[in-house]
Amino acid sequence: MWEVMFWPILACVLLPWFLVYLGLHVVRRGIIFVDIAMAQMAALGICVALLLHLDLEGWATFGIALGFTFVGAALFALTGKREREVPQEAVIGITYVVAAAIAVLLLSRAAEGDEEIKNMLVGNILLVTPAELGKAFGLFVGVGAIHAIFRRSFLLVSFDRKQAIESGLNVRWWDFLFYASFGIVVTSFVRIAGVLLVFSYLIVPAVCGINLAGSFGRRMLIGWIVSLVGGIGGLIISFWWDLPTGAAIVAVFGALLVLLTVWRAVQKRSAKETT
Amino acid sequence: MKNSFLLFAVPLLLGSALFNVPRATAALNVVTTLPDYAAIAREVGGDRVNVTSLAKPTEDSHFVDARPSFVVKLRAADVLIEGGAELEAGWLPPLLENARNPKIEVGRTGRVVASAGLRLLDVPAVLTRAQGDVHALGNPHFGVDPIIAKAIAAHIAQAFAAADPSNADFYATNERTFEAKINAKLQEWGAKLQPFRGQALAAYHDSWVYFAHRFGFVIDTFLEPKPGIPPSPSHLADVIAKIRHDHVRAILVEPFHNRKIAERVASATGIPVVDVAQYPGALPNTDSYVALIDALVDRLVTALRSS
Repeated sequence: MWEVMFWPILACVLLPWFLVYLGLHVVRRGIIFVDIAMAQMAALGICVALLLHLDLEGWATFGIALGFTFVGAALFALTGKREREVPQEAVIGITYVVAAAIAVLLLSRAAEGDEEIKNMLVGNILLVTPAELGKAFGLFVGVGAIHAIFRRSFLLVSFDRKQAIESGLNVRWWDFLFYASFGIVVTSFVRIAGVLLVFSYLIVPAVCGINLAGSFGRRMLIGWIVSLVGGIGGLIISFWWDLPTGAAIVAVFGALLVLLTVWRAVQKRSAKETT
Repeated sequence: MKNSFLLFAVPLLLGSALFNVPRATAALNVVTTLPDYAAIAREVGGDRVNVTSLAKPTEDSHFVDARPSFVVKLRAADVLIEGGAELEAGWLPPLLENARNPKIEVGRTGRVVASAGLRLLDVPAVLTRAQGDVHALGNPHFGVDPIIAKAIAAHIAQAFAAADPSNADFYATNERTFEAKINAKLQEWGAKLQPFRGQALAAYHDSWVYFAHRFGFVIDTFLEPKPGIPPSPSHLADVIAKIRHDHVRAILVEPFHNRKIAERVASATGIPVVDVAQYPGALPNTDSYVALIDALVDRLVTALRSS
């Protein structure tokens, strides 16, 4: 097992911490589907590169995909929390479906089918290569460092917007930075692990953390433990039962969330009874 | 503590029962990308080889989802049989990269490329990116031509003999038996399909050119404009017009294709939909290569007689 699962396990240890951190932001902001919308914007960029007959592994393609991600980031930053009647999630949903539809339209004009795009964008964590893992880890550390340096601003903008505005922060600009860094991280993780896994890594550990703890630090610690247990547990189950790896990890995440929630409810009830 | 022990012990126990890691027996471990190569390899190897196919018969061979056992099997493989015409290009290379098995590296005797030495059909005359490089080497769906199957069997027998010289005669005998079986059957298949020679058929995907070439059909109407791209309304209208104009007699659909689209076209044109498959095991009672071609021929005869 070790020979086959070494790199996937290493990926499940080295990468999720930053996704858990971003997930806490995302859940707090109530923009659950922003990751899928961002990944779709990057996919649209790659479709454009395909139509221009660029080398899909080259820098030009990467640049175009990045550009589309930034367009998405700008869009979400500009539409953030202005009108109460149209929630941010609506804009995100619209961005996703329109980007997905345009990608289908573009692909119908491309000579290739969607095989290449599918292979490029949606990875399988079972088959992660050391090079991919190294690149993604470097990227996460880099973007993570930016978030660590400016952590006060990033946290303030996500968790206490009123005070952020009062203290004179340029909220739109910090929103844009948040979405842009988020887009880079999510797109690179989708290429390693696929859409299902990105979504679960962002949301499930964060929700577990919020359910069980109050402070940001403790939530992050719980989220990180959940992501480690879920990831490695899912990999082991996938190996023993020979199941598709990504789906196995997602199912384990779901089970962990249910177990923790039940445990929490039981604990609360017994606490009530003793008082 | 007890709970966490159970959490791990149960999957371990169940897993060891369900998940058969190839045993280290004397038999050759053979992995094939597609089920048709597996069926031919079983004919040649008999009981002296363990054959597994990565793709399932009912799966779309352009897209195959990797599972951990694929890597395990490739690590333990003595022989790998692949098509070599880019059909598996989307999913085989990353698996091989992870398996890192020197016995089945490109150029080694353990690596059988089924398309080697074949003259593939539909090789693009001009190769530009604008034309698409998906099928640069030609149409990769060559397994349903029985004469090509004989050539693949010969490749496989050679590779088995190289990997396991003590049984070389056994493999050579089996290969000749398979060849004789196909030769005898070709007469029968040809006779059954003779009344329909020259008739036009439509297919969901362009995967029947070799079959058409061998048995004298014309198949140049396709329901999908490109692999994975659903047909637009105007494309369907074109297809319906072409079916009427060319007097197309039936629509071939494989298990993983969108049958609804085929039914829509069928109801508009009054021709039957025929469920076919490229791989042994995808249709009922087709566990061998010959049984598959038998089933294809019989289904076509039934459909074309009634239409």
